Amino acid sequence: MKFNKNVLAIDCKQEIERICGFIRQQMQSMKREGAVVGLSGGIDSALIAALCVEALGKDKVFGLILPEKESSPVSREFAEKHASKLDIQTEIVDITSTLKAFGSYKKRDEVIKQILPEYNVNYKIKIVLPPDLLSRDAFNFFKLITEDEEGNRKSIRLKKKTANGIVAATNTKQRIRMLHLYYFAEEKNYFVCGTTNKSETMQGFFVKYGDGGVDIEPIAHLYKMQVFQLAEYTGVIKEIIERAPSPDTYSLPVDDEEFFFRMPLDTLDLLLYAWENKISLVDICAVMELTEEQVKRAFRDFTAKSDASRHARKMPPSLKADNSKY
Amino acid sequence: MPGNTKKIVREFIIDSFLPFAEENPFEDEDSFMEKGIINSTGMLELLQFIEETFEITVEDEEVIPDNLDSLNKLTSFIESKLA
Repeated sequence: MKFNKNVLAIDCKQEIERICGFIRQQMQSMKREGAVVGLSGGIDSALIAALCVEALGKDKVFGLILPEKESSPVSREFAEKHASKLDIQTEIVDITSTLKAFGSYKKRDEVIKQILPEYNVNYKIKIVLPPDLLSRDAFNFFKLITEDEEGNRKSIRLKKKTANGIVAATNTKQRIRMLHLYYFAEEKNYFVCGTTNKSETMQGFFVKYGDGGVDIEPIAHLYKMQVFQLAEYTGVIKEIIERAPSPDTYSLPVDDEEFFFRMPLDTLDLLLYAWENKISLVDICAVMELTEEQVKRAFRDFTAKSDASRHARKMPPSLKADNSKY
Repeated sequence: MPGNTKKIVREFIIDSFLPFAEENPFEDEDSFMEKGIINSTGMLELLQFIEETFEITVEDEEVIPDNLDSLNKLTSFIESKLA
């Protein structure tokens, strides 16, 4: 197919049949009796829940809602509303106390205090990458944005040790969620259904052994724009469809674009498609009305993120013999 | 120190990012990112090193490939800040 702006359009009915067949076949091969889905209040998990219901029936789908004190309140509200529409059984487990017991908030706050001594627990924070890669070139470096009780904001470029400290503490949120998902999955003899899409998988926008710690990934072949198409088709509630996708792991609102992708998601998906399929620069520029420099800049960013996350998409390397299955 | 800039930065990059590399693992004009020598976390480490070693401040808008993405570019950038 010639590269064009509609290249990511899919036949929703056919795609849903294909995914549902995959879910059923995987459940059978694992000898499990149903699916556990972590419902974040976002579009990917909402779609996965709908697909699992379509594939297995509502009685074989269990939704887990796992908020913590810094989650947006609408995340839980939307997750509950969508689960109610699907008529699936759910359980809400607030993971704040588990995170506190691990020291997630404390460890992160101690790191922030080292660079901002006046920081206290009443501050709100987020971390972001430089905005709008297509308009202005910049390497990826995280900035911490803080907001005090009066709404005054500060922005600090993070050094390696500080960035790693904040990210490591924050990623425990996804990893604690993974523990809960597997507890319920094993207790029910269900499998854990992943919710990562292709736009995220390609660039490593997931946490290894966190939201990446699952049994199957039914939408890992779909770009985010294709997730939107299927979400509309399967009747995901409009509040979720209209919400800007967000990691929802910081106390200040942050969307996926400012946190990680650095460009609008529809542009991102077309460029990712062009990058993976080696579309010519001339065709990309003509279709997307971008300059060669902008496209090359995006591709450099894709390569850097893809390379940096290669290990997270693979089983741990080992010295196993070539002819061994194990 | 300016005359030694390239040598100092090269040694830091090899020690930090290519500790098991053979001699002369990259050329002065090689792109760190394209050659897979430094990732985004490494870039933060490199920034901190040049700020502390050469006592310069790198502004956010200066964290761009034109200034940082090869030994030649980095050396020119540091020396222009020191000038």
